[in-house]
Amino acid sequence: MTTVAGSPVPAATGDALHRRFAAIVGAKNAFVAPVELRTYECDGLLGYRVRPEIVVLPGSTAEVSACVKLARELGMPVVPRGAGTGLSGGALPSAGCIVIGLSRMKQILEVDLPNRVARVQPGVINLDITRALAADGYFYAPDPSSQSVCTIGGNVAENSGGAHCLKYGFTVNHVLGLTIVLPDGEVVQLGSNAGEPDALGYDLVGVVVGSEGMTGIITEALVRVLRTAQRTQTLFATFPSTDEAGDAVSRVIASGIVPAAIEMCDKLAIEAIVAATGVDWPLDVGALLLMDVDGVDAEVEDTAARAREHLTAAGAILVRAPKDEAERLLAWKGRKAAFAAMGRISPNYHVQDGVIPRKEIAKVLREISALAAKEGLRVANVFHAGDGNLHPLVLYDARIDGQERKAEQVAGEILRICLRYGGSVTGEHGVGFDKLCYLGEQFSADDLATMQSVRTAFDPDQRFNPDKVFPTPRLCGDKPGAYVAHVTETTGEAGRG
Amino acid sequence: MTGIAVAGVVPRDVVTPRSVDELAQIVRELHDARKPFAFVGGGTHLALGNAPRALDTVIRMTALDAVVDYTPEDQTITVEAGITLAELDRVLEQHGQMLPLDVADRTRATVGGLVATNAYGRRRQRYGTAKDLIVGVGIVRPDGVRARGGGKVVKNVAGFDLPKLMVGSLGTLGAIATVTFRLYPISQATRAAALTFAHAGGAAAATRALLERQLEPESVALYNDDTLVVTVAGTRHGVDAQMTALLDGVAPACSARARELTELERESYEQRERAVRRDGAWRLRIAAPPAAGVASFGAFVEAPPVAVPVAYPLLGVALHAHADAPASNGIDGLRERVAAETRGAGSVVIAAMPDAARGTVDAWGPSPPSFALMRALKQNFDPYGLCNPGRFVGGL
Repeated sequence: MTTVAGSPVPAATGDALHRRFAAIVGAKNAFVAPVELRTYECDGLLGYRVRPEIVVLPGSTAEVSACVKLARELGMPVVPRGAGTGLSGGALPSAGCIVIGLSRMKQILEVDLPNRVARVQPGVINLDITRALAADGYFYAPDPSSQSVCTIGGNVAENSGGAHCLKYGFTVNHVLGLTIVLPDGEVVQLGSNAGEPDALGYDLVGVVVGSEGMTGIITEALVRVLRTAQRTQTLFATFPSTDEAGDAVSRVIASGIVPAAIEMCDKLAIEAIVAATGVDWPLDVGALLLMDVDGVDAEVEDTAARAREHLTAAGAILVRAPKDEAERLLAWKGRKAAFAAMGRISPNYHVQDGVIPRKEIAKVLREISALAAKEGLRVANVFHAGDGNLHPLVLYDARIDGQERKAEQVAGEILRICLRYGGSVTGEHGVGFDKLCYLGEQFSADDLATMQSVRTAFDPDQRFNPDKVFPTPRLCGDKPGAYVAHVTETTGEAGRG
Repeated sequence: MTGIAVAGVVPRDVVTPRSVDELAQIVRELHDARKPFAFVGGGTHLALGNAPRALDTVIRMTALDAVVDYTPEDQTITVEAGITLAELDRVLEQHGQMLPLDVADRTRATVGGLVATNAYGRRRQRYGTAKDLIVGVGIVRPDGVRARGGGKVVKNVAGFDLPKLMVGSLGTLGAIATVTFRLYPISQATRAAALTFAHAGGAAAATRALLERQLEPESVALYNDDTLVVTVAGTRHGVDAQMTALLDGVAPACSARARELTELERESYEQRERAVRRDGAWRLRIAAPPAAGVASFGAFVEAPPVAVPVAYPLLGVALHAHADAPASNGIDGLRERVAAETRGAGSVVIAAMPDAARGTVDAWGPSPPSFALMRALKQNFDPYGLCNPGRFVGGL
């Protein structure tokens, strides 16, 4: 087994490389000029930049396959890329790599309502599936906050979640079949062809979803579409602090209610969201919860009433329903714009993503806030409380010497807190490049070796998205978790920030 | 323990580990001696699949039956794989919770067997399968090394998804030692209605009407191609409202005679459902895109049924049970027909067949186009081919 990343010497560079790939995708869909490559040097994880050798935007499965075969011939690592909204550096280029962007493959190929499936290309924007189905009363359930810009290919690679996966499940629960291009360039169909259940053999769809671009490039997905619920009841509740709000979430979950979503915002997050979006949320509260209960009309009524009782019993200041659909949508818009809103209250922020058991929310939030205070930093919290998926936003000012480093340390310590409570270092953003060293704290060497044996069944040479997910001594030092400069930083290929 | 045969093959030895460590040690020793082995839980699915190419030792998992970690307020539980579904039900009921996955015999079937076979029944409509409820797994690899995937929290994308890989892997990638599930509350109320149709195609119209009216049934099961039993579960009001919609809305819309079932009748339908998954020397599971009308694929070429055939029309699954062998070319003929009517998007799995028939017909049918990847996975996990070799799809 060889790892090509780290010491790749492409057989061709610059114009010569461009000519080879332009013959497949067309000259205007292959880029080698530094100014054109700039966009592709990072994804939503802004701290790292690596310039790829070339970026190609193929227009079909056949073109993706031909590009992969040529990259293999040239000995180049391959990094797939969707909309580049990922927050863990999953689409961060590797030195000497080709980035294969799927943004041109954006057709909804087929909507088959009798079988309740849609066949889509990877560059289709998540929300566009629901838009295409809404008139018929159907929707696509996974709803990451970036759903108006992120694409299905990236969602599949990262197993994206979102607010409503509490009831509806994650991307993996909604992908029935895939067409992927393997690292040797072969095209293979996995799972269901047309909505039939029980594809024979191992659940390769289940393995590829969430494999972060390391098993294959998704060029087509067959996704499940659902009938919209009879009714959605949103509840909006405010609390003196995250203690009561966290307790309220724990009570609702423990009572057996399965809301479609329960989202929490703490005081800082509320401030930022109000400033950025103009929602009329009260500023004099410590936390708020936004909850959706959906389903059959009468069922929703009962369940919402029970949920109200739990919220009140936990010490809510106020519990109310939006007065109309417009107000309901505005509240959700506010929630989904939360990360972007942080700019209103801090020059810089580090988004974290960790998971804890749901009975521990209040306790863990207190620990996080104490940890940040000790370092002189603020943490805003806006997250999927119903499934214990925290998103602490560590606020800092990069102009102040050492603050960025401190923020990173705090963000890392937060993951260790999650692990201490029996949780996970990522609930939906993926491990990517950002967290690979922490994966070694969550899993044993044997666990990781077993996962590697899954990976190498698809990619024996480890050329697809190398340097992601799996901790290595080169990237993490001998002890997992400790920060060491990325190899590309020390060689001057990449910078931070 | 005598009498265990894995898809017709009798092992030389049967061992029953008392702890996961002991299980790992047994597997390591068998691996080092290059002796082929298989894992058996309650033995309710021993007829599934093709005969193993070789089998030295059966490892009985039933003594690994501990509840490792149950956090009712978090709606999650971790158990050892040998615990029976009946025992798990008993533990969960004390907290008003359930693992809503159906097996034919809960007193015998184990969690590990359920996961390894990806068994399911009528409630798949609402809750999905083990793939949707499993959040973590502890395995013993074919080389005896213990490994974990997933975790005990309900949302988690750290690392490759070993839990999903293990679901339905039929013990060919190692032993499922522990499993963590997300749980559901037991519904306040459950009611069911039976819709009967005077003409074929009524069930298809009824399932369309269910969707149109945005009902969320717990299960939709078609018995004998003429009676659709729709079960609704949830809060009392919610269930009442759905029953009214069923009887006064859905039934007239598809010209069905409809009536509510008593609890006794409901149980009797569930027994018929269990029978089709348990009785009969020949048992089949046909899967197809739901709109293909899988229920009508059922005629099991000239062989009389021993149980009423059951289909889940919204899922695209039909189950058949027969005493006798199919007429010549029966299974192959059925497979051809399903393939033709679904443009290759269907399958016919033989869930059970008599030992005498093994070798004459493949339990799984044609291997999927991704088979080379499956073989590579098996090769990476079990390079010596010791773990239940040959029983699964394509001889894996």
